[in-house]
Amino acid sequence: MPNIDRRSFLTLVGAGGVGAGAGFMLSESRKHPVEHLVPYPVPPEEFSPGIATWYNSVCSMCSAGCGISVRTREGRAKKIEGNPAHPVSQGRLCALGQSGLQALYNPDRITGPLVRAGRRGELEFDPATWEESLAELANQLELMRTAGRGGGVALLTGGVRGHLASLLELFMSWLGSDQLLHYDFNHPATLYAANERFFGESELPYYDIENSRYVLSFGADFIGHWLSPVHHGLGFGRSRQARDGIRARFVQIEPRMSLTGAAADEWIAANPGTEGILALGIARRIVDQGGYQGADLDAWRAALDGYAAESVAEQTGVAADTVARLADSFAETQPGLAIGGGATGNHSNGVDALVAVNALNHLVGNIGVEGGVIFNPPPAFGPTASRQAGLSRMLELAEDARAGRIEMLIVSNTNPVFNLPEAAGFAEALADIPQIVSLSTFLDETTAQADLVLPSHTYLESWGDDAPSPGVGFRVGAVSQPVVEPLYDTRATGDIVLELAHRMGLDLAFPWPNMEEYLKYSWREVWSSGTPDPAIPDFDTFWTSVVRAGVWGDETRAPGGEFAPDAGVVDGIGVGAPEFAGAEGEFPYALHPYLSNGLHDGRGANLPWMQELPDALTGVVYGSWIELNPVTAEELGLSEGDVVAIESPAGSIEAPVLVYPAIMPGVVAMPIGQGHEQYGRYAHEHGVNPIDVLAAQTEPGTGALAWAATRVRLVPTGGRVDLVKVGGDSRELGREIVQIADAGTPAAAGAPTVASATDAGAAVGIDVPAVGAEAAMANTRLNSIPITVVNT
Amino acid sequence: MGVSIVPTLKVLKPVGMIVGVGFVGLLVGYFANAAFFPGTTPVQPIEFSHTIHAGDYEIPCLYCHTEARRSPSAGVPSVNKCMGCHAIVATDSPLVREVARHYENAEPIPWIKVHDLPDFVHFPHNRHVAAGLECQECHGPVETMDRVTRMAPNEMGQCLTCHRDMEVEHGIDCLTCHK
Repeated sequence: MPNIDRRSFLTLVGAGGVGAGAGFMLSESRKHPVEHLVPYPVPPEEFSPGIATWYNSVCSMCSAGCGISVRTREGRAKKIEGNPAHPVSQGRLCALGQSGLQALYNPDRITGPLVRAGRRGELEFDPATWEESLAELANQLELMRTAGRGGGVALLTGGVRGHLASLLELFMSWLGSDQLLHYDFNHPATLYAANERFFGESELPYYDIENSRYVLSFGADFIGHWLSPVHHGLGFGRSRQARDGIRARFVQIEPRMSLTGAAADEWIAANPGTEGILALGIARRIVDQGGYQGADLDAWRAALDGYAAESVAEQTGVAADTVARLADSFAETQPGLAIGGGATGNHSNGVDALVAVNALNHLVGNIGVEGGVIFNPPPAFGPTASRQAGLSRMLELAEDARAGRIEMLIVSNTNPVFNLPEAAGFAEALADIPQIVSLSTFLDETTAQADLVLPSHTYLESWGDDAPSPGVGFRVGAVSQPVVEPLYDTRATGDIVLELAHRMGLDLAFPWPNMEEYLKYSWREVWSSGTPDPAIPDFDTFWTSVVRAGVWGDETRAPGGEFAPDAGVVDGIGVGAPEFAGAEGEFPYALHPYLSNGLHDGRGANLPWMQELPDALTGVVYGSWIELNPVTAEELGLSEGDVVAIESPAGSIEAPVLVYPAIMPGVVAMPIGQGHEQYGRYAHEHGVNPIDVLAAQTEPGTGALAWAATRVRLVPTGGRVDLVKVGGDSRELGREIVQIADAGTPAAAGAPTVASATDAGAAVGIDVPAVGAEAAMANTRLNSIPITVVNT
Repeated sequence: MGVSIVPTLKVLKPVGMIVGVGFVGLLVGYFANAAFFPGTTPVQPIEFSHTIHAGDYEIPCLYCHTEARRSPSAGVPSVNKCMGCHAIVATDSPLVREVARHYENAEPIPWIKVHDLPDFVHFPHNRHVAAGLECQECHGPVETMDRVTRMAPNEMGQCLTCHRDMEVEHGIDCLTCHK
């Protein structure tokens, strides 16, 4: 044993200690990390850890009413798919539907009742209890009702169908109020009105794209957001690929190439607002060529007298021979289908234009036939009268509010403060309403003005049902069931209404304890309306099977029925020149707002998946932008990223420029959806809202907002930003993806053809020879020829 | 002129001793941890005894771990299931009172996993139960354990040995477990 001094001893003890500590930690680091096994205190029904349970329900992200199947594990929703048994979605689902999960799990959901603490709009709320809030609200409502002031209650909801709509109807009738309004920015009010005028019923027919051989679409972005995009996309795919070897031809007419337009054989840009005139020019040609032989031929001749090719060409900017070519191919390809929507339907002449589109279907005999327009049977259930409110109805409500006729506004999952033009003054009118109650799930711009917030479940937590509109040509009903236990202290809208009714002492009129029981009660009627089936002996069996399948109804479509429009209708056919807000001299560009792919009318802005979804055509992610034709951009000396002020007669916003070749010169396109001030962390303070600068221009017949009828001017601000884009450069860089081919006239209907450069150029009013095909091929940054895309 | 390394060694000697003692300390620390704080026997939030339930009272494994029969995951019973018996049985035991408190507050019990496979391994309990394996073959004699210990290494060799011995169809294919 060597001599060791005190100093060395302490050193060695220290070394040993450090070594032992290090060894201990080394051993610790090699252990498995602690994982927990956390069982439910009380497991949900049909729960089995490790095994997925699928529940069928109905999507509520937009108004198409797709059937969904939700995969749940351990009582949590994990994935949403389309319900294969549901005839609308047939197992498919769009991106917005997929991201319904992010509505459910959104960190910005309102987690319990709130009472306003600060001033309105300051977002200072105190938490409240359901018991107290409902008791007080019911008390107020009952006092108003017994005093005969129930008419002072307005109930404003998003698009609601099925028995929830019936329940709201019943509730409001007991209150004695007729102020029940559904507000959806994208509601096709003008299409309902056009169908009422032409077909005599204010319903949406089934547009049988799947079996059509020729789809002539006037502005209807039917793969994007028109009516029932999942169903249309499916039908379109089949019409182009999966059918009997004949590929349907598809022509899209719109000022800015949409996702749908990009899939067309031929994309034609008519001057904004003149699509209806073009439709009548085509109709005139069909009649002139003897394509229509009805008894009322003379009436048609008279009605179409003013739509000779030359005058149509002059107004629309589409060459006369193009009009003739479209007319001839549409008439000779049977069955064909003409549809209209989007900017065509939402202009000052929207209803007239859509009537003209209906007329085209009639002239070539495509009404009531497979591959054409097929009338839907009446919806399986739900109220018959539509409560959908257009701009003018909303303005009436605002006027009532200003006049003090509205004592209480109950708003539920609709956001008019965001979705109505500022010029409509709706937000200001809210200040004159003494009490605003919101039943919304999220703290959106409208709910921010509320005095009392009673948050409702998301659709994945509630009971409901739906009779889709447009239907699919036969009766369909679907039940929407909760797929998870409610995450927060929220309640279903139907349950809130029933609870209010009970507390108001209206038990006799509302004998159902909750929405589920109300649905069961109502579906007894649906059950007895069907043909008796020995396999389904009683209602309970029926109900279980409907809830399990998620859908109920017929399975076959019965086209048919002679149709002839009334004589007065034919005489009244005609489309006037579009009227814009803003003089052309002062505001040289037509503003073309469009629903963005993922954000829809703004409702998708709080879903991170949708925020991260690049725009399908421009590849831009996040924020707002305006699209300009290279010619327009060059005139103004603007290039990508230059920030400009978009000034309309109604207001001004700022956004960067994106040079986009597939838009007419003279038109400024802008996606709707961004520009939220509230609506949670993912939505607010991104981009701007083009609805803010829309003039409060209506389609006169329906009072619907004519959102395509505002002119703007562009004022460079000198600012610059880098747009975030996927896919790099929009130029082809010598890859020859875009080719300009001279196809002349289509060789045979149904064969995919390419419009000639001259044709496409003429369609947008560019002097093509001056630019020349060579220049277009030259990969210049400002590719000034509107392109026809050939998929290679 | 000769060069000696002896002076250098003299300087290094205390350094060597420090390193040596430090290394011995490292080993002691490492094995002390392994011996006295084994990760294979975690302390559970409630000292549930399998000896009493599965040993003394001979409750079958699958009575509580029901899902092993039909699910890839055997699962642990819900608090609700515990209370199925303990609403009546041994209600005065402090441990049972603790369980009852969790039940009344609707508060889950954060049990610690003893047998844990990495996430890249697909192990379906249901198939193994259906093949007639006793739970004990992998989990050891749990019915004798007051505090459950991981007996088997649960490493790939164990899987493969068994799959070979039992002549499992595709039993040693990569994609059978790693999918």
